[in-house]
Amino acid sequence: MIKGYAGRVLEIDLASKQFTFKPLDEDIARDYIGGKGYGTRLLYDRTDAGIDPLGPENPLIFATGPLNGSVAPQSNRFAVVCKSPLTGGIGNATCGGNYAHGMKRAGIDVIVVSHQSESPVRIEINGDRDEVNFIDASDLWGLGTYETQEKLGKKLAHAVIGPAGENKVLYAGIVSNERIAGRTGVGAVMGSKNLKAISITGSRKLEMDDPEAFKSYTKEVRELFKDHPVLGSSMKRFGTAGIVNTTNGRGILPTRNFQRGHFDGAMTISGEWMEDHELKGVKTSCIHCPVTCGRDVEIEGKGVVKGPEYETLALMGSNLEIGDLEAINVWNYHADDMGMDTISLGASLSFAMELKERGIWDAGVSFGDPEGVSGLILDIGHRRGAGDEIANGAKKMSEKFGGHEFAMHVKGLEMSAYDPRGSFAQGVEYATTNRGGCHVQGASMYMESVGPLTINPQNMKLKADIPVLMQNNACAINSMVLCIFTTYGMIPKAIHEMDPDSFGHRAISKVFENLGPMMRLAMGMKGKPMMWFEKWLTYITGTTFSSGHLQEIGGRIFNLERMYNLREGLTGKEDTLPPRMLNESIFENMDSGHPLGELLPRYYKIRGWDADGVPLRSTLDKLRLEV
Amino acid sequence: MSIQVELTYDMGKAIGEHRFEVEAAATVADVVEQTRQRFKEGGDEFAKLAHVTRVAVNGVLVKHSKGMKTALKDGDRVGFVKASAGG
Repeated sequence: MIKGYAGRVLEIDLASKQFTFKPLDEDIARDYIGGKGYGTRLLYDRTDAGIDPLGPENPLIFATGPLNGSVAPQSNRFAVVCKSPLTGGIGNATCGGNYAHGMKRAGIDVIVVSHQSESPVRIEINGDRDEVNFIDASDLWGLGTYETQEKLGKKLAHAVIGPAGENKVLYAGIVSNERIAGRTGVGAVMGSKNLKAISITGSRKLEMDDPEAFKSYTKEVRELFKDHPVLGSSMKRFGTAGIVNTTNGRGILPTRNFQRGHFDGAMTISGEWMEDHELKGVKTSCIHCPVTCGRDVEIEGKGVVKGPEYETLALMGSNLEIGDLEAINVWNYHADDMGMDTISLGASLSFAMELKERGIWDAGVSFGDPEGVSGLILDIGHRRGAGDEIANGAKKMSEKFGGHEFAMHVKGLEMSAYDPRGSFAQGVEYATTNRGGCHVQGASMYMESVGPLTINPQNMKLKADIPVLMQNNACAINSMVLCIFTTYGMIPKAIHEMDPDSFGHRAISKVFENLGPMMRLAMGMKGKPMMWFEKWLTYITGTTFSSGHLQEIGGRIFNLERMYNLREGLTGKEDTLPPRMLNESIFENMDSGHPLGELLPRYYKIRGWDADGVPLRSTLDKLRLEV
Repeated sequence: MSIQVELTYDMGKAIGEHRFEVEAAATVADVVEQTRQRFKEGGDEFAKLAHVTRVAVNGVLVKHSKGMKTALKDGDRVGFVKASAGG
């Protein structure tokens, strides 16, 4: 077995309550690493086209990678893969907490949960004894994720759903500790299986090819992170919420269902404000992560709980035109406890508010008014009243009520909190990402609009190149499985600290902006490991991983996702942005919206796809991708 | 003529306000100078930070237009923006 892997896949059949341990497929591990990549390969190979995402044929795949179980910072995440009930295409999400660590300690790389239980069940796995117990979960059914985990105790690592998953809210997630695999409705799939929780334990240790090199290099990386302006300073002080004022200043903070990109009340929902006014207790982190991006806040009646992060503050704050941080803290708690993705929830709520504003449908909530939101979130989680409609997400609501032009989703997945009209590469990334409108499948915005480089995010230079490179990179990172925030360390401290007006800074940005093909060539070169995650993979597995290797593997994973979507009927026509993003300008220097029509053909060409967005045979062959 | 000015949190702390209006500023450079003079306490600290912070007019970095000489009109928003990353 390749070092870094436990070597086992646990197959669980919920219908028969049977399980088997099988050897990990080393060929898949070599070609797809693990995590999202391994899970996508299994999903593609094992399912037929057109299955019901909430039916028994949809497997729920939990997958770790070779970095999980190590002490590498940001490395304790697991991926969940299945067909998405929200988009009808590829579904996946990753999650921190301690569950990935638990899986590797149990000596299990991948868990495949098949079919459905007739009644609520939970699973306890002891990897040391090769035991899998199916336990009646009637007593936990209906409980929130906090109480469920409390009742399950701290001896095992848990992945659980809340009422939203049980009630098949289409953007329900799976929770571990206080973190959530939030996107694409993976929690609804778990709920459709009547599976409340998986708890896991074991005492196995990760075997590495060169543990000494790993250990000493990881010490170096910890120092590097500690000293980095984003990972060691901004994230540590303000969490992800430290970006609120930046996106607001750049005019890309979603406001009033993306009608604007600037919110007058942004300061009061910012990480800096939270630091001075709201934070309580210890700032939390995933296991072994020094970044501590989690924030603790206190809410009435519940005590100290996890605070909101950027996406929540934007989608459920400025996007609803509400700057009441105390209210958002409570809504964030409810969403976490119900087990719901706050991006989709926020964009579905803002869509409902705009429907009301236009006199189309009244869910009882309005822009700028916190009244009724709290109760509605609980109604969504329980699918009660108007909440039952909002639980289906913006796309399905627009199909029922109308309002397609202002339903803020791509492929059915609600868009994240970076308005693409001020971040063109991010717009291309949203439009083409296989799971839909999400930012953590590439994070192009960091390279063009919010990070330290001052390239122009509103011209055509590099805007089709950046998403390809970043999506491939993210596919590899989500397969190791590493936190995507590691990407923010890729621009070194020295560039962050340069005077943005200096000649050196301008020169770097200009060079970066004008060398698209050369950048692709450079990142595609298979040489020595340079970045920390390339070195970690190399030290752990014994196989050399460089940028070129990861671009190739990431490209293979991305194209496999694409082939999955095509098989499910999602074509190039779905590679688009909401009409509001394409047709309405929010910048005075633009007559219209995002220039996707001009950028998409360039993107397809770089990808090696035809004019309809279908990968060419030569592209698949080059990637050694069998479909 | 009224220009809306929005500062980074640290800049705002230096002068005691995060968001305010200035009158009759023809360029971004005028906004910096007027702000420095207006806030006796912390004005110099603000000006120091302003030189290492990106500036955007109505969301567009002035670096992509005429820098500190970028002309302003009534109702413009001048925002000082730090580089950052979120999730």
